[in-house]
Amino acid sequence: MVTEDLVWSALETVKDPEVPVSIVALGLINGIALEGSEVAIQVTFTSLGCACMDWIVDDIKAAVGALQEISSVHVDVVWNDPWTKERMTVAARNQLGKWGIQA
Amino acid sequence: MISNEELLEKLANGFVVETEDDMSEDYRKLLVQTLTITADTELISIFSILDALQYVPTLNRRITELAIIQDELGHAHIAYRLLRLLGVDTDYLIYEREAKDFRNPYLMDLKLNNYAELLTLHALLDRAGYVLLGDVFHHTSYGPWKRALTKVDAEEGFHVRNGESGLRAMVKTAAGRQQVQAAVDWMFIMGLDFFGMPDHLKKRSLQLDFRLKGETNDQMRQRWMKSAVGFLDSIQIQAPVHWDSESDSYVTDFPYPCEWDTDQRRWQLDRPVTWQDVLGRFRTHGPYRREYVEILRRGRESYLALRGGGVA
Ligand SMILES: [Fe+2]
Ligand SMILES: [Fe+2]
Repeated sequence: MVTEDLVWSALETVKDPEVPVSIVALGLINGIALEGSEVAIQVTFTSLGCACMDWIVDDIKAAVGALQEISSVHVDVVWNDPWTKERMTVAARNQLGKWGIQA
Repeated sequence: MISNEELLEKLANGFVVETEDDMSEDYRKLLVQTLTITADTELISIFSILDALQYVPTLNRRITELAIIQDELGHAHIAYRLLRLLGVDTDYLIYEREAKDFRNPYLMDLKLNNYAELLTLHALLDRAGYVLLGDVFHHTSYGPWKRALTKVDAEEGFHVRNGESGLRAMVKTAAGRQQVQAAVDWMFIMGLDFFGMPDHLKKRSLQLDFRLKGETNDQMRQRWMKSAVGFLDSIQIQAPVHWDSESDSYVTDFPYPCEWDTDQRRWQLDRPVTWQDVLGRFRTHGPYRREYVEILRRGRESYLALRGGGVA
């Protein structure tokens, strides 16, 4: 049985290509909906001009699609609620700070 | 300025160089030389990417490439900025110096022919930059550069990952795999060139003594090969080198260095040359250097014209 927890842990492994921090810790996942073996994932980005939107969507499909008993992964890009830096975990913010990125 | 002896003694005790007063004449000269090569390399590297945007399949993947160009300009800016701090006339270097006098590697003066080559540039050559600057980052005795390299290091990692992820997707089709292998066949050897003369041909390196770098050319070349071959193995693409357990190192499958055929744009693996020949090719630079430097200057001229006309 696939559980939502399992989907979340697969999402944890997907990193933002520009800064190798998990997209979950960055607060890019707006929600997931699991129905049987089909999952729909709502993802948002830090800005409309995010350089890696396709890339992140591809990585999400690959990571979640690799879960056993998942037959289809649907990724919806949403802009509500918009991303703000408050959505990042403290650990993610500290890691960015170490690389000289103010957040 | 202080003497070499005094500086070497301080460096042995972990001294960090901050200002020109902390340097010896030779240290400053070598630092300026190293920073110039770095700045020119970062700057000229953007033009073949810019030209290859036409091969990038989707809009968002193009934006990824634009983000990389922006990073490289930032890296160039850091190095030129440090040069200015050392009293170097960077406007002259960028806008007036003759095109032939830029110090970037040969590969930057070429054009790429397809998306596979652009991705290979990132996966292999940004990796070479990552190895070279990573060495500076971890070992340099020059404080201002070390601090600036934190962000550069993280960004080069992104460029490499872009190449890797793109190549991983591309090798899934037979046609894509063939293109990737063809790109790696010539670009891997360009990567070997990046690290310069082998140690046994070099005289004692003052750069190492001054801790402007920590590893020798061959050590860095080996570190790059290990990392590059590791990735290529993971996508079952051949590199023209193999592990030699006797010498405990990677060795080339062909006599290296060998002749580069500019017109056919490929290596003549059966025609070995000397390092003097290689340096000669570096000095005469590649076919698009002049064009790239012209684009750079045209950009500035048209910007100044617009600003003069009250537009910008
Ligand atoms: Fe760079
Ligand atoms: Fe780069």
